[in-house]
Amino acid sequence: MAEYVDAGQAVNWASLSGVAGSAPPVARTVDYERILRARSEPQNWLTYFGAYDGQRYSPLEQINTDNVRRLTPAWVFQCGPAGLQAGGSTYAWESAPIVVDGVMYVTGWDGWVFALDAQTGRELWRYHHATPYDTSLCCGNVNRGVAVAHGKVYMVSPNAHVLALDAETGQCVWDRTNGDVRAGESATLAPLVVKNMVIVGSAGGEFGVRGHLDAYDLETGDHVWRTYTVPKPGEPGSETWPADGEQWARGGGNPWITPTYDPDLNLLYTGTGNPAPDFDGEVRPGDNLYTDSCIAVNPDNGQLVWHYQHNPHDLWDYDSISENTLFDADGRKLLAHFNKNGYAYVLDRTNGAVERVFPFVDRIDWGEVDAKGQIQVYKYPDKEGEPVHFYPGPGGGKEWTHNAYSPRTGLVYVPVQDVGATATRRRREFKEGIPYWGAGVQVDAEGMAGAVSAFDPLTGREVWRWRNEVPMCASVLATAGDLVFAGEPTGEFNALNARTGELLWQFQCGSGHHSSPTTYNVGGRQYVAVPSGWGGWIEGFAPGMLAGTHGAALFAFALPD
Amino acid sequence: MAVPTDERAAFLREVGLDRQNGAVLGRLLASGNVAKAEEGPDGRMHATIRIRPDELVFDPSVLVIPHGGDLDLELINDDLNTHCMLLPSNGDSQFIWLVNHSRGTASLNLDGPGYYWYGSPTGNDEGRGLTAAIVVLGEVPPEARLDRPAQPRP
Repeated sequence: MAEYVDAGQAVNWASLSGVAGSAPPVARTVDYERILRARSEPQNWLTYFGAYDGQRYSPLEQINTDNVRRLTPAWVFQCGPAGLQAGGSTYAWESAPIVVDGVMYVTGWDGWVFALDAQTGRELWRYHHATPYDTSLCCGNVNRGVAVAHGKVYMVSPNAHVLALDAETGQCVWDRTNGDVRAGESATLAPLVVKNMVIVGSAGGEFGVRGHLDAYDLETGDHVWRTYTVPKPGEPGSETWPADGEQWARGGGNPWITPTYDPDLNLLYTGTGNPAPDFDGEVRPGDNLYTDSCIAVNPDNGQLVWHYQHNPHDLWDYDSISENTLFDADGRKLLAHFNKNGYAYVLDRTNGAVERVFPFVDRIDWGEVDAKGQIQVYKYPDKEGEPVHFYPGPGGGKEWTHNAYSPRTGLVYVPVQDVGATATRRRREFKEGIPYWGAGVQVDAEGMAGAVSAFDPLTGREVWRWRNEVPMCASVLATAGDLVFAGEPTGEFNALNARTGELLWQFQCGSGHHSSPTTYNVGGRQYVAVPSGWGGWIEGFAPGMLAGTHGAALFAFALPD
Repeated sequence: MAVPTDERAAFLREVGLDRQNGAVLGRLLASGNVAKAEEGPDGRMHATIRIRPDELVFDPSVLVIPHGGDLDLELINDDLNTHCMLLPSNGDSQFIWLVNHSRGTASLNLDGPGYYWYGSPTGNDEGRGLTAAIVVLGEVPPEARLDRPAQPRP
């Protein structure tokens, strides 16, 4: 028998791709101080929301209402996968590209991170965290982005790891397990760097886990603190859970979206997710704190300072994870939060007191919330086997996709989903790692509507509305060019006039938008970057678009040279 | 009528699902052997994966490792055609060409419980049979477990 041919040692897949292999050392000087002043360097998009306040506003104005009609693709980066991946039919490209001095750091899905030349789109390095095919993913294989500081890129993986990568090479510096995949935990959010820590939240609220927010040391990966969003018996808030049994231990409340942060008050503002089981409230009588809440957390120790619960004893899957956008008005420190339940909440962010509550979507019939936050509930899906239809559906009047706030106009720009659903309670016994909804749910595929709506948060007045035939399911971006960028589920990427809502420009990207566009400047040229890759929990927020084409393209738009 | 699990292999053979161009055009995925990796004193795990002549299946087609960590593989292509392997590993997937009658190695890091597919991404090897799984047993580290009483599992 002939000797075997020596096939050698397997090599990195990327070594066969033309990837450069390294990035310039731009991330070394990114630190807390720079992120504090992120908006003073508008050429960069240094942190998930662009700045700690969550406004998703850029002072860049090269692209403006006068010239946006000339906007054209400058480059496209694509990352279609090889081989089988978890959630192959439900992946979505949800990321917000981070840009530091000409280098873009962007996650894909399934544990991918890419460093790109932000001027040309050339791939500089890539990292892939191997993801078990059977990872519990309630709503698709997704990730929303990275944090960058101290020469490192921070990310979470679908199997609930927190990783620090070398920003120049993509090599792993440290790797910590943050969640229990056997309990149904996962992770999807973009981490947030605050001081010498990276802050992350858990996902998995549809599996009866116990939500938590964690801090890790930037350099060492040492665990600094963990705050559970559902209290144990005897802890404050535990009186809102049944005294007997272990429902608190399966209570959900996952903070699966990046917090905002007020450095003057030294408070993180984190939204929490639904209680579990989502629709079967009879097994968890009480308000179920701190699910469906905005919680203000001291980042130095994880201590909960105040909370505001939007949906006590939620029966409609109305997570309150949407961003809390920080803004000041008349000397007051406020935050604006647009909840899945169809109402917007303006709170005093020093103490959580309600300033104003107002509706932002046309069809709301689960109940009513008055201007001071008092709730009158009309529809409970609480009888076994009895279908109950309600608006908004569990995808919410607005889901995780983010608002933008322009300090030039004083308006909040909202991607609105106007979709109903029917829930039929079906009790099930809790078993670890198995979905724990407590209902069968069908979201309306017919009669969907959507909009980008502009609201004055100080009055609740809707100033303009750009209507769409299907829900708007992507974050919007506001710029000093008085533009609002918003992607559609059908693939169009739009620029609207921030003062009137007039559609000024549109480009068909070939796949629907469910991501967070960002903007930056390299070499004197402003770019607008947007990942286009339709997917995720489409059956929840836009079931009439369930068969929309998948994609894997990141577009960078600019004015012609 | 469903076939009991312990009669599955015989049934696959009877209907021709255990070979190429029998019942179907290729070879039904994950219909081959199951094996456990060995663990060395240093905690590294070892296994051999072969592609046998004309069988178009990785042997074993399900490799079970006792826990997350580092896995060293010897990879042997005994087939009369060229194949390759794209294997999951933290950092980047690992790729190797395996021409006819060749032998190579791969070192993987897989860090947690669950199962991971790999395959031969050339032509339609993946669909015709050369897709297989590495199963990682075990639990996440104690510090990653939720602070709650032990919960019932299925």
